[in-house]
Amino acid sequence: MAIRANPHLIDELELYGAQDVVKCYHCGNCSATCPFSGDSYVFPRKSMRYLQLGLESCLRDTLEPWLCYYCGECSDECPRGAEPGETMMSMRRWLTARYDFTGISALFYRSPKAELLAIVLLALLTGLGFVLFGLSQGDLAVYSGDGAFLPAEKVHLFDWTMAGVLVLLLGINCIRMWWFTIGSDRSIRVTPLLYLKQLFQVPLHFMTQKRYRDCDRQRPWAIHLVLMLSYLTMLILIMFFLHRVQHGPGIDWWVHGFGYAAALGLIGTTIYALRGRLKQSEPHYKHSHETDWIFLVLLLLVSVTGVAQHALHRGGFEVAANLVYVVHMMGVVPMLLLEVPFSKWSHMAYRPLAMYFSAIHERASLNVPADDQSKTPAPQVA
Amino acid sequence: MSSTNRVGVFFCRAGAGRLPGFDFAEVADFAERLPEVITVEDLGDQPNLAAQDLVSTIQRHALDRIVIGGGSPGYFKPVFTRAMAEAGGDPDEVRLASFGELFAAGVDDPMATARAITACAVNGIPFRLAATPDRVPVNPETLVIGGGVAGIETALRIASAGYRVHMVERSATIGGHMAMFDKTFPTLDCAACILTPKMVSVGQHELIDILNCSEVTAVSGSPGDYKVTVERQAQRVDPESCIACHACRDVCPTRVDSEFDEGIISRKAIYMAFPQAIPNTYVVDGDNCRYVRSDGEKCGACVKKCPKDAIDLDRTKSTKELQVGNVVVATGFETFDAARIDRYGYGQLPNVLTSLEFERLTNASGPTGGKIVTRVPSYNKRKKTEEWVFDPEGPEPDSVAIIHCVGSRDQNYNPYCSRVCCMYSLKFAHLVKEKLPGATCYQFYIDMRAFGKGYEEFFERIKDEGVFVIRGRSAKIDHRYGKMIIKGEDVVHDRIMEIPVDMVLLAVGLEPAHGTNRLAEVLGIHPGPDGWFTELNYNSDPTSTNRAGVHVAGVCQGPKDIPDTVAQASAVAARVLGSVISGSIQTQPATVSLEEISRQAARLADASV
Repeated sequence: MAIRANPHLIDELELYGAQDVVKCYHCGNCSATCPFSGDSYVFPRKSMRYLQLGLESCLRDTLEPWLCYYCGECSDECPRGAEPGETMMSMRRWLTARYDFTGISALFYRSPKAELLAIVLLALLTGLGFVLFGLSQGDLAVYSGDGAFLPAEKVHLFDWTMAGVLVLLLGINCIRMWWFTIGSDRSIRVTPLLYLKQLFQVPLHFMTQKRYRDCDRQRPWAIHLVLMLSYLTMLILIMFFLHRVQHGPGIDWWVHGFGYAAALGLIGTTIYALRGRLKQSEPHYKHSHETDWIFLVLLLLVSVTGVAQHALHRGGFEVAANLVYVVHMMGVVPMLLLEVPFSKWSHMAYRPLAMYFSAIHERASLNVPADDQSKTPAPQVA
Repeated sequence: MSSTNRVGVFFCRAGAGRLPGFDFAEVADFAERLPEVITVEDLGDQPNLAAQDLVSTIQRHALDRIVIGGGSPGYFKPVFTRAMAEAGGDPDEVRLASFGELFAAGVDDPMATARAITACAVNGIPFRLAATPDRVPVNPETLVIGGGVAGIETALRIASAGYRVHMVERSATIGGHMAMFDKTFPTLDCAACILTPKMVSVGQHELIDILNCSEVTAVSGSPGDYKVTVERQAQRVDPESCIACHACRDVCPTRVDSEFDEGIISRKAIYMAFPQAIPNTYVVDGDNCRYVRSDGEKCGACVKKCPKDAIDLDRTKSTKELQVGNVVVATGFETFDAARIDRYGYGQLPNVLTSLEFERLTNASGPTGGKIVTRVPSYNKRKKTEEWVFDPEGPEPDSVAIIHCVGSRDQNYNPYCSRVCCMYSLKFAHLVKEKLPGATCYQFYIDMRAFGKGYEEFFERIKDEGVFVIRGRSAKIDHRYGKMIIKGEDVVHDRIMEIPVDMVLLAVGLEPAHGTNRLAEVLGIHPGPDGWFTELNYNSDPTSTNRAGVHVAGVCQGPKDIPDTVAQASAVAARVLGSVISGSIQTQPATVSLEEISRQAARLADASV
């Protein structure tokens, strides 16, 4: 099958943050350094090659960028300064844009100004909506209970509606991802049983990110895991226990205990990451795309306002608590509606899925008849 | 023509965009102070000049010579010529001071050169003629710094033409790195068979003085007549009396790592680097000798044992003044320190060797008599520690991996290609296959640079011998179950290779020898950004430096293999002999000062009258 080369692929990837890809001279140092690069998936050098040659379809169908957790060792050791680690990062952004069927993701990544504008507009709209809604049915001086400005049950309904939209958008993108990487691959035949047998990979990698632990430096894994688990905890609290979370002024330790831990985790890790990116203290913090900043700032804003409304409510400042609540929602809605399906947040779905797909792919290619394996001949004794 | 002229200097800035940072005012200021210059006018950047204005200016000042200065003054020459003719002057007396070429040629100090060009034009002398340097008488003696194959070749060529050569060598013997090698590529000649006869010729030549254990500490004087101060370590063994009977070595109690054998075995504190060393006498390593270190309190065993009373351990270092006309720098290289790259485990894993260590190992005159063996643990009774040593009866490796580009082509270390590593790695593979036909040999390379005569054929031959050639530089070496696991990507077949091997050879790159920067300072020549000495012109003058009479030969000018080194060394000898036989040496443009050019311009002007 002929492969069409796109000579502008490198230029396109530059918009997503790739730098210095042309410097690569294919010594293979990065692939050999990478703790994940192994029998079935050899990266990042090959992806650098795809980029240099402009093999867009090969790049689109590869899972490799998702298997990289960006420990940065390849970039450190690269003899050419070709930044393979950052290239993998930018390929993840590019893939996110390719999986997204709406094209919004591509717009956001190519023009962070557009993303910022969309976030601000949506935030203002949300603020306006919630203020009007609050005034129409409640009292600004009441935070929870009867006549609350923003009653928990209504917000709960709103949250679930939003979640439905998100699952729909992200779900379609995930299916597209499956089609590119597994579904359209004629060289393997995947049985439904294999899909079922490997399904455990998704929750496993989602909850533990255990592959990240295999990087030589383990602190980034710990930070990432704390951030992710805190986020997840908060999500569960809000999606299922919003009424108890919002209710006051007493402290419901069964709920709030988790809430405090999660808030601490979120604020701590986002500040750590922001500081790291400012100081460029670690390899994976050296290059920051604008979307990375937007992501962290939004997350920090949402966490801090969440804690603040809780504290204000307990402190008896109901009006202030309600106002901060509105600000909180102005952060939450753009974060969830724009970041989750179209930007950086989406990787929480794509990465565990990639682990799942790669496990399937690996096992499926073992079943391929022997004559198809001629792709990997014996060492060259020419 | 009268001996004094009335000169007008006109600066035309049109087209000066080609001269970034050029200061016309400075040159104008300078021109005004030149004798014979009556007027200096800045005509700005107007591209069209009115001839009539020029005519009146010429007549007002009664100018009989005009100098047009600017980026491309030739453009204005017709209008000035016409004006000069109309004003009744000599139309041939319109001279150009063109600064455009300064920037095209990349001159060191463009402003100074621009001033000199202006001075020449004012005097009616073409700059190229004025800048042709003087020839000064040259001292027929030559100093060669460095006694490797480059220094040896140069010294022999000059001395065999009948001129005296002083050879300064830092270590105890001449011969340099080539003396350590086993074979040369691609011909697989025995390196010592080529080099040692040359070394003997140097040692026996009555016109070559070898100053071993010496370093050049100061150079003064001017081209053609340099005064060189050489500091020589104490000559504690009289070379005239020593008969190399080894009696002193046998009693010496101090053991240190042998430099010649890359530290894989030891030598005594009184030693001869190797049996064919030139000068063929023992030397005392003052830094390690027990007697010298204790100020004469301890030991002194060798003095008593010497049958010729040749040893005097109380001698101190001496300095020697030399007067020479030419200096040849042939200081060579040292290899990249492989311990700087952690992941290769050099220094920690016993059987990771550098290329020079392997040269000694496989050399028939080396510590194992040329047997390729792996290091085995052995108990050192004196130090009471276990250490890894090469035992000639030790186990032979079943598999050997050679990693290319160690420290080369890597922006974390040296960005340049060291040029010899690919070929010597292939040579190693051949030697392994030749001596251990059952062994497997792997080459991990990035690009195979087989660029010379017969090199590509050599590569083909090595592949035919059954060496596994893997495109992809290995990234790391792990140690598991007594074997080293070498991990690298096979780029051609797109997979990760993990190969257990018994021995890893690191093809370390070349770096300038230590002390290169200090020597450059002493000599007043420049090392380039990568540390190698800069030649005057890469293409047309690759052996001269910015200082007249100071030449570079061999690897100190840039990595090169033996054939190229010998060729360059011979070229240097031709340069030196050219000046010595003609009796004079040309000082170079770079060394001609502005004053000198102005003076010369004036002198030439007088002569042409």
